[in-house]
Amino acid sequence: MKKTKTYLHNPGYLKVELMLKGIRVDGKVLKKANLDKCRDVANITCGLDIILPHNTWVTVPYADDFVNDSPYELIESEGKFFVRGGTESVNVSVVPTPKFYRLKTTTGISLSKIGIVHGGHVAITPATQCDFFNKEIECRYCAGNPDIKGGKGKTYSVEDVLETVEAAYKEGKAEIVYLSIGFSETPDGGIEFLKPYIKAIKKHFNTLIAVEALPPKENKWIDETYAVGADSVLYNLEIFDSKLFKDICPGRAALIGRERYLNALQYAATIFPNGTVASHLIVGLEPIESTVAGIDFLAGIGVVPILPLYKPSAGAKLSECKMPSTEVIAPVYGYLYRAVTTNKINTSWVRDISVVTTPLEGRFFVDDNARMQTFIQNFYKSKLGLKTAWSLATLRRKLRVKLDHSD
Amino acid sequence: MKVQIDKRHIWLIIILKSFRPVFFLAVGLIFFYLINLPTPDGLTIQGQRAIALFVVCLILWVTGLLPLAITSLLAIVTVPLLGILDKKETYALFGNEAVFFILGAFILAGAAMHSGLSSRIALAIMNRFGNTPAGLLFSIFFLAAVLSFFMSEHAVAAMLFPIVLEIAKGLNLRPGKSNYAKSLFLALAWGCIIGGIATFLGGARVPLAVGMLKEATGINIDFFEYTVMVFPTVLIMLLIGYFWLTRFFPSDIEDIHLAKAVFERRMKEIGKTGYMEYAVGIVMIITILFWLLFGKSLGIANIAIVSVVALFILKLVRWKDIEEYVNWGIILMYGGAITLGASMEKSGAAVWIANAIIGDWTNSPLLVIAIFSLLTILLTEGMSNAAVIAILLPVGIGMASQFNMEPKLITYAIAVPAGLAFCFPMSTPANAIAVSSGYITTKDMAKAGIGMMVLAWIVFNMTARFYWPMIGVKF
Repeated sequence: MKKTKTYLHNPGYLKVELMLKGIRVDGKVLKKANLDKCRDVANITCGLDIILPHNTWVTVPYADDFVNDSPYELIESEGKFFVRGGTESVNVSVVPTPKFYRLKTTTGISLSKIGIVHGGHVAITPATQCDFFNKEIECRYCAGNPDIKGGKGKTYSVEDVLETVEAAYKEGKAEIVYLSIGFSETPDGGIEFLKPYIKAIKKHFNTLIAVEALPPKENKWIDETYAVGADSVLYNLEIFDSKLFKDICPGRAALIGRERYLNALQYAATIFPNGTVASHLIVGLEPIESTVAGIDFLAGIGVVPILPLYKPSAGAKLSECKMPSTEVIAPVYGYLYRAVTTNKINTSWVRDISVVTTPLEGRFFVDDNARMQTFIQNFYKSKLGLKTAWSLATLRRKLRVKLDHSD
Repeated sequence: MKVQIDKRHIWLIIILKSFRPVFFLAVGLIFFYLINLPTPDGLTIQGQRAIALFVVCLILWVTGLLPLAITSLLAIVTVPLLGILDKKETYALFGNEAVFFILGAFILAGAAMHSGLSSRIALAIMNRFGNTPAGLLFSIFFLAAVLSFFMSEHAVAAMLFPIVLEIAKGLNLRPGKSNYAKSLFLALAWGCIIGGIATFLGGARVPLAVGMLKEATGINIDFFEYTVMVFPTVLIMLLIGYFWLTRFFPSDIEDIHLAKAVFERRMKEIGKTGYMEYAVGIVMIITILFWLLFGKSLGIANIAIVSVVALFILKLVRWKDIEEYVNWGIILMYGGAITLGASMEKSGAAVWIANAIIGDWTNSPLLVIAIFSLLTILLTEGMSNAAVIAILLPVGIGMASQFNMEPKLITYAIAVPAGLAFCFPMSTPANAIAVSSGYITTKDMAKAGIGMMVLAWIVFNMTARFYWPMIGVKF
């Protein structure tokens, strides 16, 4: 039998491997891990949340067919969990399903439909709609999260969202609240819609807010995004190569344009704190050289490149596209780490994301201890650090934002 | 509401934002330094504390870092806390007649404006006399002045501004370019300023000065007496002002028939004279007659408040109608200024300062008037005229007693020039309103205003020198 290569002793490699190949889990082990079935609305995020060594979070597919071929298996021994690959194994923690997933809002909506936890963050999409689908110009890799796939969609009320955030906050799962919005053809990129949610969350909780939106037509909306209370913003370009961008993301290319993405990101980096403006570049949908060029460009303008792995989704126009291998991907993450540190971009914000390899996790690919950055990141994860981050973010906003009432 | 993000370096922002707390800390340190200094000869400990408080209020009034009213409230609470005056006496000063006169005047002016009476009078006069460019300019200038005899100059400026703006637009005058437009807006502002010093009603500063004088010395100035003393200055300044306007900004238009269309449209909008306007007009006329004839015996504040009550009994106004016209900030400010002035006087601090600062180098009452009027007219260009009075009058009254001068004279020397601010938009709301039109720039106003300021100072001192003795004033 051919011996399969595994990466058990490098958390960075192992995270990529597990995201790509998934993990086999016996039903009994699942039960012992006290895990419920994964969230039933958005299968694209379905997976086990595992904490690898060096506090490396990863969401690992376990229910898909392809995991049967995975060299990795989750095992349990004397109450401890291990990822086993071949004859070796590594001790990990399995994160139980958040308790609030079982709860419902006062209006009867399951909280798991509104908020989904990734590491210490809770992601919420208040309006489940993406007009790219309505116009049939959706991104070709996107199968359409049932939450946001076209139509009139569903809009969760501010109160429903607040109840979700409160439940996540009580469980310590809302260090950062990610609010995202699908495409809607408004000049503000969706921030006017998100504004009441941001304000309400800021009013009730001492938590940080990241907004994933579309670049607005004018920069004044970026100012508004910061002023209203967003601590971080993501305008996800997804594809850096201009031709492929048009091919793969026809909606984004036609209605927003690559130039506007880049300009908006560059401007946002001058408004938001260092390390809080980010953009996704999907690894695997364009040549590696193009992704590397994108990393260089984004890091050069002070934007954190976040590199999710392309994962074919059933129903997507690009579902036949092959997933890249770990060996192909690993150097890209190493390059990401170098680019971010060379450009002195703060790596504390993009952390503990279980579905993406963070820039600081890129250190595992270049054998760098990154002691200082790790120390700072760990500090910001502590209770004191969270309060410090929140206080500094609030103070910065207070100092920088000027409201002109003359209008 | 527009959002702006300050992109300067965060440390620079912090340093700049630290200015305010550092400033207040410095003010606090100055205060503690002054009250802990050894008490100078001839000054009581209460006097020393009053001076320390006075310096703090002076700094806050001049810099405007706190609203004037809040500085006044600070003065009111600090006076008894420092033992300068006792609590009862301090808070009783707030109930000064001047404060209630100001309140009554605000309400009466509010009633005139709310009923539409004041707008009707303005439109009728401009329509009657504004047939030529010079006639229109003259009518705006003198109308603003005459209306300011009877109501707050700020209210007159605000009331006439939309009409003048409409005229400028109707005549297609170019903002920032047209000489005639510049002269129209300056006529509005200067008319209000000059007219505003004619009576107690033009601005609350005169009642404030009179109230401070009364609290400090027991001497009163009545409505009629004040107007008699000041009226020549007003008349001469109106003539000079009109001459100055027409020479500084020679008219660049000949035909103003388009302005007539504005008046006619406006007149149509307000319709025929209604019961409310007649009734408010009658109450106003009776009130002014009582002020002139019985002000001394009945008290101007009493007359004002009785008139206000009459307005409500006759259901000519409702409280919510006139609430917006009552400037509570000014009322609070004046109460505090009167309290501080009285504490300076009663503690002997005012006399001590007068001796220490001016006493040695001046020996003529006319020179004292010249110096105080000059100081006042210069300071009022940069700060609130009420604040100028609050700062200078206690010292001036102390000075008067040193020269055995009638304290009333020094009150005139400060109260009248305090209203004559011609140069800058920040000097007085009437100027600010004119500049806000966009038809005249701050630079235009300053260039024309400096000459007016100098002329105003000369005219006031000439009036004091030659006219006051003619009506029996002795120096």
